[in-house]
Amino acid sequence: MSNRKIMTLGSVLMGGILIFSLYGIGNTIASGDIDREWEGRGSDINKSLTVNNAVYIEECGSCHMAYPARMLPPESWRKIMNGLEDHFDENAELDNETKNIIEKYLTGSSKYSNGKYRKMFRNLGGQSPLRITELPYFRHEHDEIPSRFFKDNDKLNSLSQCDACHRNAEKGWFDEDDVFIPGVGRWDD
Amino acid sequence: MKNTPVFITILISALICVSGHASTIVENQLQLYQQQGASVSDPDHGEQLWRSKRGERSCTSCHGDSPTQMGKHQKTGKVIQPMAVSANPDRYRDAKKIQKWILRNCKWTFARECSAQEKSDILTWLIQQ
Repeated sequence: MSNRKIMTLGSVLMGGILIFSLYGIGNTIASGDIDREWEGRGSDINKSLTVNNAVYIEECGSCHMAYPARMLPPESWRKIMNGLEDHFDENAELDNETKNIIEKYLTGSSKYSNGKYRKMFRNLGGQSPLRITELPYFRHEHDEIPSRFFKDNDKLNSLSQCDACHRNAEKGWFDEDDVFIPGVGRWDD
Repeated sequence: MKNTPVFITILISALICVSGHASTIVENQLQLYQQQGASVSDPDHGEQLWRSKRGERSCTSCHGDSPTQMGKHQKTGKVIQPMAVSANPDRYRDAKKIQKWILRNCKWTFARECSAQEKSDILTWLIQQ
């Protein structure tokens, strides 16, 4: 093989290796494997708030946003899943098999959240509320928003439609940068 | 293209299979209602049910007046795709789903389970829209 051919082959191989390395780094960042800031896109918390259970998304997400499992303690999910006949004044009953699949997913994903995600359950004092909006952490995070922005806002009515303002909520992103209050505009405190 | 006629035949066959599938599911469901005591379906009565009210509650509260249009969950604001097959060909392809929603929504709207006859009437009216 001539020197020139060896040089060309070498360049191609090096180029390939470089492309694969960049691809690998890109993937690592996208999947959140690199420990980034607490609340940044692609961070662990974003990943952990992504809903990835097809049955849950289909069954619960057809009426409202499929709320991330880690936003309520396991006991709250247990209570919700065992009272679907009167689900916030709606009938949302399911056959037992489907109910069990969803209950297992929700309580399981919430149970195994590590210390970092427990932030969400701070000051709960052993309580297991049925609404995410009743969590002390949630209230603290939303206490600067004037009630006229949601209670008197025809497009919202309450704070329970996360994805109405957190435009990337379904991807597990709840960062303030993404907030846009319908009829009001961008929110930044 | 040499293979175009073959491709079109396959495409048409596939479309026929898919559309046939949904109607078979509805047929089976209607037969099931008959086994549960329903007689011949009455789509006019189905429409009456769709519009009847219990206090403020009615099918139209969330689905909107016309089944050919999109609805909106009155509480969560989530968009509900049209119930009419003409506007939403993906409807009525899953027997379990049909049963689940008719059970839940009769209970929410009328505070009771619908009879086999009522279920048959409303399903028949909806698939004709």
